[in-house]
Amino acid sequence: MEYKVEAHRIMSISLGKIYNSRVQRGGIKLHKNLLVSLVLRSARQVYLRDYYGGICLSAQQAREWCEGEYMDSEQDKLVPGSTESLPESDGQSEVAVDKGEPINVVESPASLDVESQASGEQEHAENVILDSGCSDLKTTEESPEASATCEVSNVVTTISSNCISDPSPSNPKEATETPTDCQTDDSESVEENSHKPKVPRAYTNRKRSADDSELKDPLPKRTKVISPLLISKNDENKGETEEMDTSNVSSLITIFGSSFSGLLSSEDGAQPDSEVEDSDSGQICCDQMLKNLNPWSTAIVAF
Amino acid sequence: MDEEIDTRKINNSFLRDHNYATEADIISTVEFNPTGELLATGDKGGRVVVFQREQESKNQPHRRGEYNVYSTFQSHEPEFDYLKSLEIEEKINKIRWLPQQNAAYFLLSTNDKTVKLWKISERDKRPEGYNLKEEDGRIRDPTTITALRVPVLQPMDLMVEATPRRVFSNAHTYHINSISVNNDYETYMSTDDLRINLWNLEITNQSFNIVDIKPANMEELTEVITAAEFHPNQCNTFVYSSSKGSIRLCDMRASALCDNHSKFFEEPEDPSNRSFFSEIISSISDVKFSHSGRYLMTRDYLTVKVWDLNMESKPLETYQVHDYLRSKLCSLYENDCIFDKFECVWNGSDSVIMTGSYNNFFRMFDRNTKRDVTLEASRENSKPRAILKPRKVCVGGKRRKDEISVDSLDFSKKILHTAWHPSENIIAVAATNNLYIFQDKIN
Repeated sequence: MEYKVEAHRIMSISLGKIYNSRVQRGGIKLHKNLLVSLVLRSARQVYLRDYYGGICLSAQQAREWCEGEYMDSEQDKLVPGSTESLPESDGQSEVAVDKGEPINVVESPASLDVESQASGEQEHAENVILDSGCSDLKTTEESPEASATCEVSNVVTTISSNCISDPSPSNPKEATETPTDCQTDDSESVEENSHKPKVPRAYTNRKRSADDSELKDPLPKRTKVISPLLISKNDENKGETEEMDTSNVSSLITIFGSSFSGLLSSEDGAQPDSEVEDSDSGQICCDQMLKNLNPWSTAIVAF
Repeated sequence: MDEEIDTRKINNSFLRDHNYATEADIISTVEFNPTGELLATGDKGGRVVVFQREQESKNQPHRRGEYNVYSTFQSHEPEFDYLKSLEIEEKINKIRWLPQQNAAYFLLSTNDKTVKLWKISERDKRPEGYNLKEEDGRIRDPTTITALRVPVLQPMDLMVEATPRRVFSNAHTYHINSISVNNDYETYMSTDDLRINLWNLEITNQSFNIVDIKPANMEELTEVITAAEFHPNQCNTFVYSSSKGSIRLCDMRASALCDNHSKFFEEPEDPSNRSFFSEIISSISDVKFSHSGRYLMTRDYLTVKVWDLNMESKPLETYQVHDYLRSKLCSLYENDCIFDKFECVWNGSDSVIMTGSYNNFFRMFDRNTKRDVTLEASRENSKPRAILKPRKVCVGGKRRKDEISVDSLDFSKKILHTAWHPSENIIAVAATNNLYIFQDKIN
């Protein structure tokens, strides 16, 4: 979890820098802000991966992420893939994720197979983004736990990205934007993909049970925001962090104005212990990820 | 969260109060002219100070040509762009001398938006004996004039005057980071974050765009241009470096718009060193051709690399400037030091390269002997005419007597700008608002 805290800290620092650059003499410096946004993106990837790592453990959330029909189609894809390459227990874990029973993390072969089966550039983008964030994680601290989270989130992403790849009327805009980010991460993906075979296969349950207690349902759909900041409300150190995050976030909202109007309206609803369990909360998760990719680029465009 | 904010405030105030006499005096660029006789410095206040080397005199052989102030002038003023509601800083980003063609000296100086050509000339005679005005300028009453006289030139005290001869403006949307004079001595290029423009030194109302990396959709922006330079001998060749750590060499004969490079220099990133800040530390802050034109030197945050123009896959040599900072990247990111743009220079024979670091340290690397030295530019630690003592940074473990530990380095004292005399071993080192000039030991 230190990565999460570190990533969160780096994100807040980066946002502070972007904010300060607006009042700096001489105008906004494009080079510096580009670099800051790259750091922000890396930190956010790590942060989100930790977040999803915690979430995917819960069976209930996993089931509710995708619409019923998506899940069915994915189950067809996932289960054969997993049973082909994995022993029985892992096959069960795959299925268990689908059916909502908490089980061990899926091993990397499963996720690799799933990734190969999944279609669409967007989904590759999602994996790429997480992969690149994955190796960030890997280098910051080489530990089986890190790998575990990495692989878990790979599976999670695959499921969620499979949801995305299905054309939906509400997501055409986000769908087109994901490839854009895919481009920027392409350079990273080439390196990262080579790391996949090296990722150790051993996983522990310890992290999972800890994450269970931190499970949080996805935020309401209208949250177009810096959701990592809100997500952090479910950290172990909930109390003060929540308030500070909220105040930070609200100040950042006023700074960035309309880009974050979604946050203003949803903030009232996003209570620390909100247990919103929408049927399409899985969809929302995907939307969040995609929408989160947007504000940063919007910030850059503003320059 | 609160502690982080406090840390930021503390760092900012530390940087402001500590050691900065006036912010406007901070030297922002240093450059020798092609003969080495003159040394120009630009500062944050938009001023240019030119030093001239004393003529060596037989009477005082030990005073081997010291540099004294020759001319000072205000090159750029702060401006305000009313259309975009942006203030344009007057800080001089770069100075480049033109080769001398007559008695006057010419240099190009640039701030974020405007390049100016300055003529620095000496005046040691003045005309006296005008008919219509007195010597002090007062107009003479025409009715009192009874005879006509011809004005004659009389000697006067030497006066050095600088006049702006050309102003090249309104060509850059983004901040200009470099200028480079072409070998043909007719053209020069100015580079901002996304575009490079080619100018004729005589023509100020138009310029040609030769490189444009602005994406159609700004959201797709992934890299910016950080520096550019013309080849010293070939007037058709130039290079530009990017924030992604790559260098592109372009040939202007190939096409009018040089978006397609002729050579692409990039070293694949070492995956084991990947971190949040990998992109920042791989961004190239300076690129310099060797005097021979055979090699290229680039400076990123932690290393200096020498490239052979004939080998694009990897650099010829890599020198670690301050690798002990690699573990401190996060704090350097917080206090903005990670964005510092260090410059690098070649010596006249291309055998030694020099670059700056923190704590007023600067490093020299001998390419032939592979030896390197760390020196300090500070008044406290070196008396005039004393030989500089090599310094050492202790990385871990036991600290010896003269060593400095990484944690006690002063990150507000940074040497970003250095210059090396084109033929002799004389170096100019800018440490915040002080300029140090070091020479080789005599005899």
